[in-house]
Amino acid sequence: MIRWCAALLASFLVAGAAMADPVKTEHATAEIIAERSAVVPGDQFLGALKLDMIDGWHVYWKNAGDSGESPEIAWATADGVKTGAFSWPAPHAIPVATLMNYGYEHQVVLPFEVTVPADYKPGDKLELKGQARWLICSDVCVPEQAQLDTVLSVADTPASNEASSNLIAAALANVPKPATGDQKVKRAPTGFAVGVADPEMALAAKTATSIRFYPDGPEIENAAPQKGYYGADGVSIDMQASDLAAKGDAPLSGAIIIEAKDGGRHAWDVKATPGDLPAGVTGKTIGAGPALGGLALLGILGAAFLGGLVLNLMPCVLPVLSIKAAGLVHTAHDPKESRAHGVFYTAGVVICFLAIGAILVALRAAGEQAGLGFQLQYPPLVAVFALLMFAVGLNLLGVFEVGTSLMGMGGNLAEKEGASGAFFTGLLAAFVGAPCVGPFMAPAVGVALAQPALVVLLVFAVIGLGLAAPFLVLSFTPALARLLPKPGKWMSTFRQVLAFPMFLTAVWLLWILAAQAGSDGVILVVGGAIILSFGIWLATKIGGKLVGRGVAALIILAGFVTPAVLSAGTTAPAEAGTMTTAEADSQPWSPQLVADLQAQKKVIFVDFTARWCATCQVNKRLVLESSEVKKLFAEHNVAFLVADWTNRDGVIAEALAQYDRAGVPLYLVYPASGGPAEVLPQILSTGLVTKAVKEAAGTQTAQASAATPINR
Amino acid sequence: MTFVTRDRLLLGAGVTTAALLTAAAVVSSTAAAHAATVGDPAPAFSEHDSTGRLVSLEEFRGKTVVLEWTNDGCPYVRNQYATGNMQKTQAAAVKDGVVWISVISSRPGAQGYVTGKRADELTASRGAHPTHVLLDADGSMGHAYGAKSTPDMFVITPDGKIAYSGAIDSIETTNPAETAKATNYVVAALHALKAGGKPDPALTRSYGCGVKY
Repeated sequence: MIRWCAALLASFLVAGAAMADPVKTEHATAEIIAERSAVVPGDQFLGALKLDMIDGWHVYWKNAGDSGESPEIAWATADGVKTGAFSWPAPHAIPVATLMNYGYEHQVVLPFEVTVPADYKPGDKLELKGQARWLICSDVCVPEQAQLDTVLSVADTPASNEASSNLIAAALANVPKPATGDQKVKRAPTGFAVGVADPEMALAAKTATSIRFYPDGPEIENAAPQKGYYGADGVSIDMQASDLAAKGDAPLSGAIIIEAKDGGRHAWDVKATPGDLPAGVTGKTIGAGPALGGLALLGILGAAFLGGLVLNLMPCVLPVLSIKAAGLVHTAHDPKESRAHGVFYTAGVVICFLAIGAILVALRAAGEQAGLGFQLQYPPLVAVFALLMFAVGLNLLGVFEVGTSLMGMGGNLAEKEGASGAFFTGLLAAFVGAPCVGPFMAPAVGVALAQPALVVLLVFAVIGLGLAAPFLVLSFTPALARLLPKPGKWMSTFRQVLAFPMFLTAVWLLWILAAQAGSDGVILVVGGAIILSFGIWLATKIGGKLVGRGVAALIILAGFVTPAVLSAGTTAPAEAGTMTTAEADSQPWSPQLVADLQAQKKVIFVDFTARWCATCQVNKRLVLESSEVKKLFAEHNVAFLVADWTNRDGVIAEALAQYDRAGVPLYLVYPASGGPAEVLPQILSTGLVTKAVKEAAGTQTAQASAATPINR
Repeated sequence: MTFVTRDRLLLGAGVTTAALLTAAAVVSSTAAAHAATVGDPAPAFSEHDSTGRLVSLEEFRGKTVVLEWTNDGCPYVRNQYATGNMQKTQAAAVKDGVVWISVISSRPGAQGYVTGKRADELTASRGAHPTHVLLDADGSMGHAYGAKSTPDMFVITPDGKIAYSGAIDSIETTNPAETAKATNYVVAALHALKAGGKPDPALTRSYGCGVKY
């Protein structure tokens, strides 16, 4: 009887599948799988460590990146059983705060080779036994381990395990394949360029959305942006070196992973040796998107023109425009003069927009994440600008008149506006207007910024034309201009009234500066304003004497320069980032927080904002801070996250770029059920927010009922 | 085209030059900002310690300073304290007149973020010997040094230069048995400095949990 039982058991073992129990830990389920259920003596086959992670947690690649540790197995197999090293499927770049890690989410299968001892006999058992250890992290990290034991039967003929061998084959297909062709690395003072002459990579790069180099070692700054290029024969990547990189020439190995638009990933294993990059691996930028077709470009230019036109109505340009309007009234009687001023004004606007576009292109080329309105992200510029507004205000009030060259640029704008005045007004309007470029244009600019420099400049020039268009038309149409009221004594009163919007603009700029450079920065500018006033007063007292005027000019200059230089060194208080909202129930945004909150099945509202963004402030006052919306958020337990872009912030810029935006505002609502966010329009209304939030919360109930198994 | 006069051309040229200069200034101001490394002057800092005192690097001029980025929830840090390796290193250093500063750069709400009181409790319960525990909740000090993980270590010479940057020891592990076999780089660096030499290695790859900025 016992013998019979044993025989039965043995036959089960021979015919049966591998015996293994997955081990469940707090954050993962681990198992050793094998492509065979039965093996033969001397056989070589593939096994794998399979880790299924709970959502939001990840384990690491062979190079973990900035932190972390790769999974491993301490084998306790019988003598003669040989196990090889893991093959590592292509990893993902997982950003955590300001760091970059390389690893896997959801599931990873790490294949390895197993050799069955030749002296095993059919009927024996092969035990794949060991302690698997892995570090698993979300925001926090937990080391986990499991005793794994998978038993395979030894037989005369091998038998396959379908499910496991599929998993292993899929994992192997994801392992970076060796790149063919010449592979070179060239050391630059602060980084590397890696170039690979592999036509297959060039082909993949053509339609790629991104490329990244995953180093085997610590040579590169993992979190720094990389720039990819391709040519006819291959690809190349520029990246920043870490402190741990050799100062001179050294080989560099790692994986190059190219991501296609459809989400497909192609990975190559690269071993680059020092030397000049192979020919034909550069020229076009990867991820720039295909060149815009003529129609698409026309569409973007149309949107840009419209956007520029709408800028005329934006609160931030209005004060500047009213000066221009006053000037127009003056020249209305002289068509020739009027036309000249129209042209100069347009030139000023367009040149300023071109300069902004050129700087943006340069910043992006330098690897900096920058967007529209970036000029107000630099405290020195904001300081100078506030002072300029103040000075213009004083001029309008009649504190000083400048008809000559001393302060020709800032002078005498409204009274008898010269060509220089017209030009300057144009520069000014564009400079203040650019950050307000909002509703119509954000998508257009976002798309344009991914295009070649020339297209970017074209788009910016057209925005400028749009902004200048109304005045240009007016100045070229005497009939229209004559409809404007006749100049008279009211003009000087009007001019004085205009001073006050200018002062208000200066206050608005000080408010921005307060967030960037703290109260010290504000005090510096106010001090600068007093020095400036003194210089101007001195200049008017001294009159025409050359030396005196020189001194006065120096003092005026000091009024501008001192706060600008000093404010560059001051920093905002730590809490400044949250000041934009002044909401007790909002939290500072981070990609990690979004992931955490999504894991908690919460509705998330993200407000990408900045102090210098007028549209953002209007939305905030009228909608986001309204009692209805506050109540709505409370009712649906909405997590309100604020991403404040008042100061430069690469992480926020990157997030904006993901939504094809180059600026704020951007409003996202993540559904409670997880998944991608809904993008709200740039001009909010209470109804719109209510609808979006209710939908986002509602999908939760829908999903919850759908998740209940009905058919099973 | 009568409105194109010499004066106006000059004005145009002047304005364009100014715009280009501004562009250059903006671009160059963004190019800098890279974390300090071995051989560089140690970035100045001024942070509150667990007792609320403002502590700055300046006041320790003339003394060797060790900075230890820490997070009591991080398994790698826990391992260092569970094995007593970190406390032993601290005690020996402090006895030698070295200033030992533990820095917590976790943002509020994140793992490792503590109040001053809790930081002192941790010091007591772990038998640690830091001269100060700094609370860098805004991460400014962590970013200035480019601290990436916990534990991340810096050794600063008496004249304020970074002499060592990197891991506490040679084995990346959360396993006490492994740590016992590791070479302690900070101990080695302090010995080298005391003997008038330079640490070797002076720069290693730090390991552990990411700093919770």
